[in-house]
Amino acid sequence: MQRARIRGGAAAGVALVAVALSLAACSSSGSSGAKSSSSPSSGSTAKLSGTLNGSGSTFQTTYQEAAISAFRSVQPNMTVNYGSGGSGKGRSDLAAGVTNFGGSDTAPIPSAEVPNFKGKTVLYFPVFLGPITVSYNLSGVTGLKLDATVLAEIFSGKITSWNNSAIKALNPGVSLPSTPVTIAVRSDSSGTTQNFSLYLEKAGGSAWTLGSNSTIKWPSTARAGSGNAGVASIVKSTPGAIGYVDYADAKASGLTFASIKNSSGTYVVPSPSSASEAGNGITIASNLTFHAVDSPNAQAYPITYQSWDLVFEVQPNANDAAMLKAYIGYLIGDGQQLLGNLGYAPLSSGLQHMAQAQLSKITS
Amino acid sequence: MSTVARADQATPAGSARALSERRPLGDRGFQVLALACGLLVLVILVLIAVSTTQQASSWFTTEGLKIFARTWDPATGQFGALSFIYGTAVTAIIALVMAVPVSIGIALLLTEVVPYRWSRPIVYVIDLLAVVPSVVWGLWGILVFAPWLQHIYTDIASGVNGIPILDNLFGQPVSGASFFTAGVILAFMITPIVTSLSREVIATVPAIDKEGAYALGATRWEMIRGAVWPHSQGGVVGAVLLGLGRAMGETIAAALVIGSSPTITSHLFAPGYDMPAVIANQFGESYGVFKAGLIGIGVLLFAFTIIINVIARGVVERSARRKRGA
Amino acid sequence: MAVVAGQQQVDLREAKGWRRTSNRIVTALMVTAFVVVLIPLGFVLVTTIAKGASIISWSFLTSGPIPANVAPANVGGMGPAVLGTIEITALATVLAVPLGILGAVYLNEYGGKNWLAALIGFFSDVMTGVPSIIMGLFIFSIWVVHFGFSGLAGAFALGCLMLPIVIRSTYEMLRLVPNTLREGSYALGASKARVTMTVVLPAAIGGIVSGALLAVARAAGETAPLLFTILIVTAANPNVFSGANTSLPSQIFVNASSPYTGAQDRGWGAALTLIAICFILMIVARLVTARFARYSR
Repeated sequence: MQRARIRGGAAAGVALVAVALSLAACSSSGSSGAKSSSSPSSGSTAKLSGTLNGSGSTFQTTYQEAAISAFRSVQPNMTVNYGSGGSGKGRSDLAAGVTNFGGSDTAPIPSAEVPNFKGKTVLYFPVFLGPITVSYNLSGVTGLKLDATVLAEIFSGKITSWNNSAIKALNPGVSLPSTPVTIAVRSDSSGTTQNFSLYLEKAGGSAWTLGSNSTIKWPSTARAGSGNAGVASIVKSTPGAIGYVDYADAKASGLTFASIKNSSGTYVVPSPSSASEAGNGITIASNLTFHAVDSPNAQAYPITYQSWDLVFEVQPNANDAAMLKAYIGYLIGDGQQLLGNLGYAPLSSGLQHMAQAQLSKITS
Repeated sequence: MSTVARADQATPAGSARALSERRPLGDRGFQVLALACGLLVLVILVLIAVSTTQQASSWFTTEGLKIFARTWDPATGQFGALSFIYGTAVTAIIALVMAVPVSIGIALLLTEVVPYRWSRPIVYVIDLLAVVPSVVWGLWGILVFAPWLQHIYTDIASGVNGIPILDNLFGQPVSGASFFTAGVILAFMITPIVTSLSREVIATVPAIDKEGAYALGATRWEMIRGAVWPHSQGGVVGAVLLGLGRAMGETIAAALVIGSSPTITSHLFAPGYDMPAVIANQFGESYGVFKAGLIGIGVLLFAFTIIINVIARGVVERSARRKRGA
Repeated sequence: MAVVAGQQQVDLREAKGWRRTSNRIVTALMVTAFVVVLIPLGFVLVTTIAKGASIISWSFLTSGPIPANVAPANVGGMGPAVLGTIEITALATVLAVPLGILGAVYLNEYGGKNWLAALIGFFSDVMTGVPSIIMGLFIFSIWVVHFGFSGLAGAFALGCLMLPIVIRSTYEMLRLVPNTLREGSYALGASKARVTMTVVLPAAIGGIVSGALLAVARAAGETAPLLFTILIVTAANPNVFSGANTSLPSQIFVNASSPYTGAQDRGWGAALTLIAICFILMIVARLVTARFARYSR
């Protein structure tokens, strides 16, 4: 009796796993990662086939996922993979030659890493801009105004309660409670932290002493969350919390954001359009690197940052070059229409033209 | 082997010589294969040690002995790893203190107390505990467990406020994501390993020993102490070492619930950091000496594990020798 | 010792006083230990089922590609991740389990007390403490850099994680096989290889399978080593030996921690799927072993 039951159970289990395996293998779509074939291509309508691998900035992940999805109808025989992992990983994967393009929130490549690229020229393609919101949780308080000095003091732990005089000075007529301030920060290193701290360093002056890096030694009272979503959930669940969250995630989590004083003295609310404005009037180097934080433009949201896709100028074969031109061209061209819904800011037309002109530099 | 020699003597002289002479190729081949597999472990480990040390070399040379400094601040170029070493030690101790008695208790329950028919469902429950992926433990930990624990920590902290030693251990600051939470989650994760292996080990105690103890009038507890424990002691220690290894090397779950604050503090309910967690959190954006430092922390963990294993083995050897009366 | 007949009526069947109490306390503690373990397990399962059960469907388990985070819950599925987990974990198991068992055979049957065996045993224990992220980094620097991302690289990384667990648990089980079994087989003229394969290993098979299952469960649930070796992707890749791939734990992490509800549902659905697959596998393996095991109760 027992043996029969065991046999039956084992057979059922094995059958179940086998069925799952075969169905998963049969019905999942998408081509396998084939080696690049040598099909030539010239025009943008030529059908390309092969695989492109990219990794890097997590800021780009949402856009890359949406673009990859939409790109399937443009080039059905191409497979594009984007593996996130962080800007540092993106650059080092590109240098190691295991990816075709790398996403990085920092450009140009830091000097410590330059030797890894063995002298090969890297092209920087800006992909989009995005605001970093300062989200807070204070019931009954909307439209909070903050500036760089006060932000620097809050995030260094010098301001510990919401009815502090410095905050009150910026918000006359708003009744601020005496709730203690809880700062919410990132537990993982990120380009968001890097650019937020860069803004505090540039615009906060002497009030900010913690430096600018993907990892900051925050005050010990800070609560850390993993990813933008982690910080968002800390802000959402803790009364009196304030944290820096990527606009797309803050909007999706339903957070309230503060308006920040920009370099012209105007208080600007974060949005895709105010972030786009940050791209105007800033110095853009010939290799298309720039800093969008603390932009001089009068309508700009000051805590805006950007991301680039890095590729080698010289590709190992013609098909890789063609595929990259097609995909990167999509990211900076037709794909930009996807950005509004995702909460990111498209490139300004000037920047877009410069990037599209740079596409022709990709050769084999 | 002496056993083979004895077997030779039992058979007629002619065939015995033939047997030992024509040691089958398959037999020798099997031995070589087994040796090769054993050596593979050493080879892999040496490769890991060499490649990680090489990638971490710039950290060692730039920082020198400052690798044991307290401050880890990439923004200002300070890369001292002491707070992570401390965190790993603390969380591993908490995890072991909680998991080992529970695991051995369940293993004994399964082998000595519960009738065989009922032991199968309990084994499946332990299996279920084992298949929960580490990322789910981390997510559940930070979304559900940590907020709940924060209330308990706050209550305990207000309760011990002012009492000398207890306040240092359990007083403010408290946070849901803390050393203690990470230790508890690690305990949940290592329990299946220690339980499963201990159970298998305890199950092989010869029935004769156990029945003999009962025949002498021993209670179950006395029988366990006298017949089961001496026999299975070594195996259980092996199981605990496996669990310890897992506790020290667990990456994702610790990274999510430990609080990500590189501090050295006696307050167990305060946020902290440990070695695998900092590597997981900060690696993606690191480069240069920062990156070398993170890999170097991996090397330190390696060294740490070696030291712990040496100590553990030493302790076990000592107590086994004392028991044998040698 | 035996009661001398005719003396005072000392009843040795029942322990009295402190002995009885301590026995009862210990039994109660053992039961408490089990209950203590049930509670967190129950909570985790309840949370996972509550958050993930609603999205489970045949199309969720098999269709791909995995949609972007912002896509709502009824779009796409986790098919590529299910496939990836199954093929990568299966490959890792095929690599690590036979190697681990043979390694333990060497340690116990051939190595004895010599220095090499002691060294291998010691370092096998040390290897269990290597953080999984370092394993991934290691395979990246020696394999991926030369051969690119692939499920094979991920299998190597997971195999390295599994190997010490299999070795240690197999070694403990082999050590406890009574020598009388071996000696009896030698007495019948069997070679050492034959004895090991046909007598010793089957005697320990229950424990060996237990250890192997734990290793498989650990490998199936790992995220960090795969981060560097498979380049977590969204399209299915049936070819485990070449090309980037994905796995359920990686997708769980990416999805469940995003603020979009569609992604969260998918993440927790993936978590439930992984737990279910591994659990079914463990039950099947234990049933099959119980059928073939000798010397078990």
